[in-house]
Amino acid sequence: MRETDFDVQGFARDINELLVLSALRDEPKHGYQIALDVETDSNGLFRFRHGTLYPILHRLEDAGLIRGSWADEGGRRKKVYALTERGRRHLSGETSRVHEIVSRLLSLLRHPGEATA
Amino acid sequence: MSTRAVRVFLPALRELERELQAPIPARLRILRELEFDLEELLAALLANGVPPEEAHRRATEALVPDRHTLAILDRLHAPLYRRLTRRVREERLRLIERSLLVMATVGVLAAGTTGLFRAKLLVDPSPYLWPVLGLGALLLATAGSKVFEVWIKRDHRVPARGLGAILGLSAAVLLAGFGGTILDFYHLTALLARAPDLANALVPVWLVRDCALLSVSIILALAGGLVWLVLAQWLALVSGARRSALGLDTHHP
Repeated sequence: MRETDFDVQGFARDINELLVLSALRDEPKHGYQIALDVETDSNGLFRFRHGTLYPILHRLEDAGLIRGSWADEGGRRKKVYALTERGRRHLSGETSRVHEIVSRLLSLLRHPGEATA
Repeated sequence: MSTRAVRVFLPALRELERELQAPIPARLRILRELEFDLEELLAALLANGVPPEEAHRRATEALVPDRHTLAILDRLHAPLYRRLTRRVREERLRLIERSLLVMATVGVLAAGTTGLFRAKLLVDPSPYLWPVLGLGALLLATAGSKVFEVWIKRDHRVPARGLGAILGLSAAVLLAGFGGTILDFYHLTALLARAPDLANALVPVWLVRDCALLSVSIILALAGGLVWLVLAQWLALVSGARRSALGLDTHHP
């Protein structure tokens, strides 16, 4: 990976998207459940506030990485999201990429000047 | 939407609906999804012993989009037409739209007139056919502009504006066709009263030209009426869904 490939602002957005995809890995969930699981699983480190979850969900749905479907529950309509096959592949590939970036970042922080290209 | 007696997040949803710029159907999908999640989060917080006011505040803070997030949602749900024309200035776009509308109307009218000409219905047409075609062109332009506004631009700001004109123009086309036929009939009767021996020559010609006049006016009026019906039903559906989503049909706090 070249340094020009890395976009810091985009990385933060990618992380949020990966958190959502990861929360859907095992079963379909609705928005609030995704937000709650991300917060619980990260011990409160990652939290979606001010509705920031919805643009992420709708962007992922547009990209075909998750599939949203409406269901009835007690006379109320809820939207449930499920990970698509494409989303699963994306999650796997991006997890490796994030792992590489974080490893290089840690290496740089711990041993400045020794980071490998 | 919720069948609960009290929908506690309705004020927040109504405020969001006012701020969102996305087309109404997309707006309602966002609000429906949000309301379910808000109610679920509120119930979970209450079940965990959080006091009601604090639970309401926390649920709102977590899930209700702020202005920045609303702007992102608007961009995500903008109609394809808006996304494609985002770089074009508003006045220039309006000019292009109007030019295209005129060209489309002239095109349809030219195709229809060519069809009539080929069927030899314009060799000796009724003089009342021209006002019918003129009104028909106006009807096509009005209906085309409304269809473009609602289904291509997905602009629901003043949804019902122009619908009455479509129905009115359809009725006018039909009246012009029937009125022209009646006037043609009186004209023919007057001619035959003066020269009864011309009946064999005149009657078939007048029958053909009045059949053409009636057919054209009925087809145009039916097309206009159909466009009006579909548009009116669609807008009523959207409006009903909006009232239901925002609890405007029943009393809510």
